[in-house]
Amino acid sequence: METGEEFGPWLARQLKLAGKTQAELAKEVEVTRAAVSAWITGRSTPRPTVMANIARALGTDLGTVHTRTTDTQAGLPVTWYHRPGYPDGGRDLGNAAAFAFDADVQVLARETCQNSLDERLTENGRPVRVRYTLHELTGQDLDAFREAILWNDLFPHYSAVSEIAGNQKVGRVVDAGVRDMYEKGRLVLLRVDDYNASGLIGDDYADGKFAAVVRRQLESLKSGHGAGGSYGLGKATLWATSALGLVLINSTLSEPHEGRTERRVIGRLELPWREVDGEPYAGPAWFGRPDPDSPGASVARSWWADEETVARLHLTRESDEPGTSFLIVGAHDVASLEDKSSDADDETVDEEGGEDTRDIRKMHRRLVEALGRDFWAAMTGGGSRLPLLEVSVRTLRNGDVVVPEEQVDPSAEQPSRTRALRAHYEGTTVDRLTEAGQVAARSVPLKLPLSGGARGTLGIHQAVLLVTEADNDKDTPKNQVHSLRGNRMTVKRAGVANLPLGINPFQAVLLVGEAAGESAPFAEEVEEFLRAAEPPEHDRWGQTEELTLRWSPSAYRRINMLTTEVNNAVRELVARPKRGSREGGEALRKALTVKTRPKAKAPSGPVVPVLDGLDATIGDSGEWQITAEVSIPRGDEVVPMVPVAQLDVRSGGRPKLDWAELAAVEGCEVEDGTLRFAPGTRRAKFRGSTDVTSHPVRTTLTRLVLELRAGKGE
Amino acid sequence: MKIYPYKRLNRPVTLRVTSVSLKLSDGTRDQLETTAYSTQQQAVALGIAGHSDWVSATIGLSATLPPGADAPDAAWSDLRVLAVLTDGETNVRTSTDLTRETADGRDWSGSLEVLRDNHLGRASLAVHAVGTVDGVRGRSIAETDRNWIIDTVSEDPVRGLQLDVQKASFSRSAREWLHAYADVPWIVDTSARVPTVFVNTDVEGVLGLLDSSGSGLDSKVRDLLVAQMATDVWTAVFHGAIGDLEVEPGGGPVFPTDWQGDVLREMLPDVIPGVHVEEALRQVHRRRTGDSGWVELQTRIHYAAARRADATKALAYAIRSLEQMNRESEK
Repeated sequence: METGEEFGPWLARQLKLAGKTQAELAKEVEVTRAAVSAWITGRSTPRPTVMANIARALGTDLGTVHTRTTDTQAGLPVTWYHRPGYPDGGRDLGNAAAFAFDADVQVLARETCQNSLDERLTENGRPVRVRYTLHELTGQDLDAFREAILWNDLFPHYSAVSEIAGNQKVGRVVDAGVRDMYEKGRLVLLRVDDYNASGLIGDDYADGKFAAVVRRQLESLKSGHGAGGSYGLGKATLWATSALGLVLINSTLSEPHEGRTERRVIGRLELPWREVDGEPYAGPAWFGRPDPDSPGASVARSWWADEETVARLHLTRESDEPGTSFLIVGAHDVASLEDKSSDADDETVDEEGGEDTRDIRKMHRRLVEALGRDFWAAMTGGGSRLPLLEVSVRTLRNGDVVVPEEQVDPSAEQPSRTRALRAHYEGTTVDRLTEAGQVAARSVPLKLPLSGGARGTLGIHQAVLLVTEADNDKDTPKNQVHSLRGNRMTVKRAGVANLPLGINPFQAVLLVGEAAGESAPFAEEVEEFLRAAEPPEHDRWGQTEELTLRWSPSAYRRINMLTTEVNNAVRELVARPKRGSREGGEALRKALTVKTRPKAKAPSGPVVPVLDGLDATIGDSGEWQITAEVSIPRGDEVVPMVPVAQLDVRSGGRPKLDWAELAAVEGCEVEDGTLRFAPGTRRAKFRGSTDVTSHPVRTTLTRLVLELRAGKGE
Repeated sequence: MKIYPYKRLNRPVTLRVTSVSLKLSDGTRDQLETTAYSTQQQAVALGIAGHSDWVSATIGLSATLPPGADAPDAAWSDLRVLAVLTDGETNVRTSTDLTRETADGRDWSGSLEVLRDNHLGRASLAVHAVGTVDGVRGRSIAETDRNWIIDTVSEDPVRGLQLDVQKASFSRSAREWLHAYADVPWIVDTSARVPTVFVNTDVEGVLGLLDSSGSGLDSKVRDLLVAQMATDVWTAVFHGAIGDLEVEPGGGPVFPTDWQGDVLREMLPDVIPGVHVEEALRQVHRRRTGDSGWVELQTRIHYAAARRADATKALAYAIRSLEQMNRESEK
């Protein structure tokens, strides 16, 4: 039997939910008020016969009272609470934090994965597992889900938003989302689960991770100084990715709250200001159980849901490992609109054409790519180090698998960089590159400035630079340095300036701060410094306001100096050493190199046909039988051509074969072994067979060369 | 267009050089850095380390076959993959077997031994996948489409052939034949292994000018000089290359395989535009050995050489620089 929470706190909450006092309960179950008080404070537990009475009084069955894994359905049902309009008449027509990024699955992948990494439970040393599930619902499944989220209660709010959609952005997005659902009869759910993470711990309202995610904006409560995020903007991407502005959350906590850990559920809706039935609403709404402690018992708070409810909300977690599941309802992918590149896979092109931002297969591929690009380092382990992160992506339609679960493999997405990092962990790096596949390591100094605007250097941190040959064409763009710090998310992606031409393509990784090793001097300070230098997009290090305030306005120059050092080190590793002065000087050398130059313009005049296709077989008596196609450039006059059959040789002159027969098929005439083309013809075809008596060797052992020659063909 | 009397793979084999080491005369080995080869240029420069006493080089190779080489219904059996080094000058052909890296993979690897005595300069490295087709062994099924260049002399892994430049005092040089040319600033020798330009150090300042790396008028004059020299050189090497062609049994010329081939392939499209290089070579050969047309061709040859020398650009920059200087002195 599942172990629920202690009887006392559970009963207290049920009473509160049901709006009953201890005295009322005492009266109903015919015990003294003191006895009820003793149960609640845990000094005693009721006898089994009394349990049945309590169950009746709370309007539930005996099992619920015994197991206490869920709340009773007594009291107020789970519902939507919409924040009322501001008394001063102010209107928020959208959440500014959500505009900080484009609503793009790639941005979402970066932000959510970074959050999961930051909340990883570090004690057990295991990686945090993140799973992305794209789930498209249609038909009955869609209806069932809409019922579960009380769609009918929400619909008036969506229509109110649609009415004012014409003049503001959030409204238009929401309007499009609702229309897509109705017109195409489908809804895309994107679920992000993490396991072995801390979960949304803490009180519903007081400071804590729960309130930071669900109740507050722009609050960042990161677990350590190595954390990736710092702005508290990341969570806004969850809502920005939902065309309906709706995200449901189910969290398993790493530290019990109210004596429980599993299935803490709440939903949050982000809509602009609206008026429904004459009532103004400020914007956000929460899906939960009304809190009897709140004024009018209307504010919705998280509740401990039973398994069936969680299943109906598509929020079932696969194990009791702590972590959080976010369900983004109506996920869309705005940036893919601009992404016109379509890979030539054998995937069927969907009938809506390439502009469907909700195509789940495409979103799946983009998620895998984005995760591989930004988090390859966190997913890489080696030596004694385990990876920090494991990510998988799967795609379903109405519960059926469309694309099976696919674990993002860093060595497939970023082969050369993954190899570089692994070699670093395993200690197999070299000083100079002498063989393809080797990884060269260099340490590069970062001079950490003193904080508080003081001049001078706090200390020198040795960052680790890894350089290796770029593996294959998939590793593009080439010649790039990926920079990362403690959380091992790729922050900066930059090319190296002033590389000499013609170097072998490479990929480089720069490990700074705690990524350079826990024992690296000033690793902790560097983490803090670089984190302050990161903009909300987490895509570079440079001048930020925080850097100016905490260090100095010129502190960012230290980062520029690091970049210069890195570029020098890379150049030194991959470029050929400059040779001493050579005779004649560089300019003359260059002028005397035989290299391909753009061809001179062909003179106007008669155009020359060229051979375009050739089909040849060996006939019964050992002759070559050919059918050849000729393409003719546009021109008034066409040069007559002589087809010449030869046998290919390794060196020396090619033996020439005689024609036994040469005949026109279309577009040309054969006259005395010469092809003549009518003006205006663009394509011609002829066939022929060689004279066996002119063959110097057995035909099956020969290679045929066919040429068209102008003039007499000698 | 070439065609084989049996089924082959359509796509080419890709070849990569993975390491280069030199064996020195004292028996030691020098593992060269990966900068000794260029994967973009597909060239290996064995002269890069500056050793004068190396005996042989070991080049690590890795080749990837196109998909389908191991298809169960393939028309061939006994698949082998060979790396073949061909030297058009010395007519040496060295081949070495590559071995499959993993049991069912498409990657084959191995190493090729290059003996220094077998080569004069540039050799060409290709990979062939061969198998038994219709009972005939060793038939080619696929090969690389672009060969690697193994240069035993060059210090720079570049694909293009670099002509040699040497300085000498023409009047006092040990090369006595130079004495006759003591009154000119440079001379081209096309009879050497690669065409060589001798710069006469007796002409004062010419080396200094060529070596200058400034950006002022000096550099413009230098570029003008280089363009002038290059025009001479390209004209000379073209004549040198066209001068002694091997002739096919039927009377047609054979494309040379050494530097002459490189030069001709590069210049012929400018000399006889609009036709295939083979056809262009035949036409040039016909005009040179035939009764007429050779004189008329000189203009085209000069045009091709001047284009290669970038004479127009050098001249334009020099003139602009002069005009600028004149304007400044007027002020």
